[in-house]
Amino acid sequence: MSTFSFISETAWRCASCNKELHPRKVNVEYMGSVFNVELMVCPVCGFVLIPENLALGKMLEVEQLLEDK
Amino acid sequence: MADGTRTDILARTESVCPTCLRRLPAMREKQGEDVYLVKKCPEHGEFRTIIWRGPLPFSSWQRPKKASPPRQTFTDTEKGCPFDCGLCPDHGQHTCTALIEVTSRCNLRCQVCFAAAGDHGAADPPLERIAFYYDRLLAASGPCNIQLSGGEPTVREDLAEIIRLGRDKGFSFLQLNTNGIRLAEEEGYARSLKAAGLSSVFLQFDGISDEVHQALRGRALAAVKERALVNCGFAGLGVVLVPTIMPGVNSGEIGSIINYAARFSPTVRGVHFQPVSYFGRYPHQPHNSARITLPEILLLLEEQTRGKVAASLFAPPACEHALCSFHANFLVQDNYRLQGITSWQQTCCAAAEANVEIPSAVEGREKNISFTARQWAAPKACVCPPTMVQENEDELDYFLRRAKTHTFSISGMAFQDAWNLDLERLQGCCIHVVSPEGKVIPFCAYNLTSSEGRALHRTWDV
Repeated sequence: MSTFSFISETAWRCASCNKELHPRKVNVEYMGSVFNVELMVCPVCGFVLIPENLALGKMLEVEQLLEDK
Repeated sequence: MADGTRTDILARTESVCPTCLRRLPAMREKQGEDVYLVKKCPEHGEFRTIIWRGPLPFSSWQRPKKASPPRQTFTDTEKGCPFDCGLCPDHGQHTCTALIEVTSRCNLRCQVCFAAAGDHGAADPPLERIAFYYDRLLAASGPCNIQLSGGEPTVREDLAEIIRLGRDKGFSFLQLNTNGIRLAEEEGYARSLKAAGLSSVFLQFDGISDEVHQALRGRALAAVKERALVNCGFAGLGVVLVPTIMPGVNSGEIGSIINYAARFSPTVRGVHFQPVSYFGRYPHQPHNSARITLPEILLLLEEQTRGKVAASLFAPPACEHALCSFHANFLVQDNYRLQGITSWQQTCCAAAEANVEIPSAVEGREKNISFTARQWAAPKACVCPPTMVQENEDELDYFLRRAKTHTFSISGMAFQDAWNLDLERLQGCCIHVVSPEGKVIPFCAYNLTSSEGRALHRTWDV
């Protein structure tokens, strides 16, 4: 299985640490499920960037698909 | 209590006397971990019926909603609940699912039957009368989900026409409540109902062993049920397995039913448990040991699936009263294992932190109608092999693809009988039956009978 990857050059920096973000494998827990993904992460504090295309793309699709009563 | 167990009154509500059906004040009374509905008739004495048993905290099972009265009522409030059902203006929830009893005939003689089918020889309502039932529902609440029930609806030769009529009237989700015998035995029958517009089959399914079917339905039906499932699968009909759980009879098969159901995903869209209730003639109060409560089923689910179906995943309902049901959603993985895909804890904690306003009952009803219609019908997406993760697919892609076809719901609903009837629950009921005269009556009120078999709303006694 390929790893779900959202690595891309980004102008975003970590606001707390003022560091450039680096690609890293992380486990994302979303809607009760864990996904193995690669995201841009602050090397110091571990803060993760969720890019807009992920939040409004696949993550939104998951949310709509799993909408509960 | 004499044994030193502490007793607390949790809430005051109302009920009826199981013998004379007069309305009585009642209490939800906690005794140790268990909760009882307690009431006293001046003529027939005290009744103490278990409504919650075991270590899952009763206090955690809440989902308040603001009452939302029916759009159009067909009765006035005169004698008070539960005597004015029609619905009356005091009812707090709209119809989410309406049952239309298309016949009282049946091709089984079950020990357990809420409708006391087959006993009274009432004639089947003609098609024009069923059109009137559909119209009454549209007037009372607007489009809702329909369950064609009975008796055994498949004994009617014009069932496809009844389905077509419902579609023409604007109902988009029609479900058939059936024992599955005709679906299993008649070539092409499932396809003909699908072609008429049927969305889903609510298949009576008490267990995987013939012993269970024999005990509850008087006939070995395991092979029949499986043939019905296969035929529904080929016809493109979604199926919900519906076990009536009776302690000591099939309470040991809860985990096996789930495993069996998952192997038939995506034809099987979910399992819906119904703890046994005591409608009909019961001269003596059914013993509390003959009852099983919702939290007990949750714990048996967890135990018998070795923790795969955890009790903590389940939520009280958005639509009906919290004490009436539980539900949780899952994804059936390639190896047929179930993965929980919602977390009630997350949802309820987030709501508490956000100090969210109590929603109106009608909001829950809208959610429930669309969720049920989506989950209990066959998946819209094509179930194309191969199902394993593809070369260029990431985990999220796989999850999305799989979830379009292999979501799976586990739910349970506790019906109320003359002993455990709680009028607060009844007033929040969203499962309604259309009576022969066209009244819309909450399911548990419609089927309520005194211990002597006198029906409160049905036109025949048992």
